[in-house]
Amino acid sequence: MSWLPFAHALAARQDLPIPAWLFAWGASIVLIVSFFALSVGWREPRFEGDRWRPLGAGLSRALLGLPAQILCGAIGVFLLGLAVYAGLRGTEAPDRNFALTFLFVTCWLGLPLFSVLLGDVFRPFNPWRAIGRVAGGAFTALAGQRPTHLRYPERLGRWPAAIGLVAVVWLEVVYGVSGGVSVGLAPHSAAVAALVYSAYTLTMMGLFGTETWCRNGEVFSVYFGMFSQLGSFAARGGRLGWRRPLAAATHWATVPGSAAVVIASIATTSFDGASEGAFLSALEWTFEWLTDGGFGLTAALRLTDTAFIGLCIAGVALVYLIGVWGMSTVEGAPPLRKLWSGFAHTLIPIAFAYLVAHYFSLFVFQEQAQFTYLLSDPLGTGTTDLFGTASSGIDFQLLSANVIWYVQVAALVVGHVVALTLAHDRATAYWGDYRQAARSQYWMLAVMVAFTCFGLYLLSVSNA
Amino acid sequence: MKHQARIAAVLLALVAGLVLTACGGGDEETTTTEAASTAEATTKEARSGYGKKKVPAPPAIVVRDGEPVGGVEELEYSAGEQIDFTVRSDVADEIHVHGYDLSKDVEAGGSASFSFPAEIEGIFEVELEQRGAQIAELRVNP
Repeated sequence: MSWLPFAHALAARQDLPIPAWLFAWGASIVLIVSFFALSVGWREPRFEGDRWRPLGAGLSRALLGLPAQILCGAIGVFLLGLAVYAGLRGTEAPDRNFALTFLFVTCWLGLPLFSVLLGDVFRPFNPWRAIGRVAGGAFTALAGQRPTHLRYPERLGRWPAAIGLVAVVWLEVVYGVSGGVSVGLAPHSAAVAALVYSAYTLTMMGLFGTETWCRNGEVFSVYFGMFSQLGSFAARGGRLGWRRPLAAATHWATVPGSAAVVIASIATTSFDGASEGAFLSALEWTFEWLTDGGFGLTAALRLTDTAFIGLCIAGVALVYLIGVWGMSTVEGAPPLRKLWSGFAHTLIPIAFAYLVAHYFSLFVFQEQAQFTYLLSDPLGTGTTDLFGTASSGIDFQLLSANVIWYVQVAALVVGHVVALTLAHDRATAYWGDYRQAARSQYWMLAVMVAFTCFGLYLLSVSNA
Repeated sequence: MKHQARIAAVLLALVAGLVLTACGGGDEETTTTEAASTAEATTKEARSGYGKKKVPAPPAIVVRDGEPVGGVEELEYSAGEQIDFTVRSDVADEIHVHGYDLSKDVEAGGSASFSFPAEIEGIFEVELEQRGAQIAELRVNP
């Protein structure tokens, strides 16, 4: 069944499945850690506080001042423009075109990492926000009054971002397939999609206001912003500052649709990981069933993948729902709806761990391409060599299979521990009685163990 | 406390189950590795015996109408070994080993042989570059 083009277009290399002994160790450590968590829980919430301490004023001025804002915005707009230009005018070979690696690896996979480490770094570079602010400023200068906007329906919350998140992944891993050839998403399609998304985003910013849309509907702001909640650094009122790691996450999911964003993140990463391994035979079966039913190859493939992404989302949501429902049966529990949004942030570390486990090696290898030949020859046409690195390649010996395995398993285990920490902390805040709080956490523990062991399982299934 | 003990028991059972399944998988793994290493040993034996004629030919991938006969060939090696294989094709194309980034042209009805050390661990596609059709999967274990 080799002709099924499920493979990633960019990846010249795939990870070996983690060996059985490592799977066993990983799963055992997860369960032992979970036992430990049951016995040593603290009784007062420690992460619910909103304490934030400013860093030096000079540093804030340098990094957040107007010159820096203009520079970062300009860089963002320039890079988006370059990616679109490369996509439209450059080679159709996905691995030789700047557009795909820049958009789907450097930004899509890199920014979650940098957001955790450094805070919400996407915000100053967000090209749409920069354009929106300039347009808003120009309007104010010309009309002599600030632009008026529609009121954003608060009940909609982050739902547009959650749907957009699924759409981005769908575009990358589903739309890209074409009958019988493993080409993946073509650079041209990626550029067109970026233009369509830009038009949509700028329209929404015009309707609801730039910052309102970035908070709620702009997919990348919401997605990267979610990961930045785990880290220590944040800007507040124009000042840089730091806070206890994880503390900000406890306030993140108060907006409707937040749970959907984090569930979509876990589900889409799961699908991407499983489509080449755990789900392969089920996908092939569905695909054949559809082609027998008269669908064309490409249509059947896209339908199959779309259905399975839907299944992944439903599955992840169901596991979380069971956990939430279980908690609601514990005496003194808040209503189901409050629990659903109240524990959503505890899944952010799991989502991040899934990203690291699935894309760590792809990111390390593909960034070598990004900073060598893709930078020197962004169009991939062999006509430019801007920095003299156009003929460099990727050194695949940089990471051994063992290093990749350890990083993958370590990411899942650490993500599991952090998720348990957040869940326990939230429980102590919701249940005044410590014993009931601990009892409610058996349910979340089961949810976390399910996600982490499923993550390990996905890594252990051969993608042959 | 009773409640906690019950949960503990359930979790313990889970651990035991997981470890058992994983170990089951492990046994399988060892058998395939053993099989692979015996195969490797015989190959080495055959190669070291200069005078003997029984040198097993390196795996050949036959391409008919741009498709590999019998599906995608799986080539499995351990890091450090020498990778040898030949592609015989009835269509002209360029054969590309991804990751190692080796390419050889093949004429219609011709063949191309590859021989290189297994230096990079991972799973790599071998494909007919112009058709974009995968013909083999190269797997290099640590």
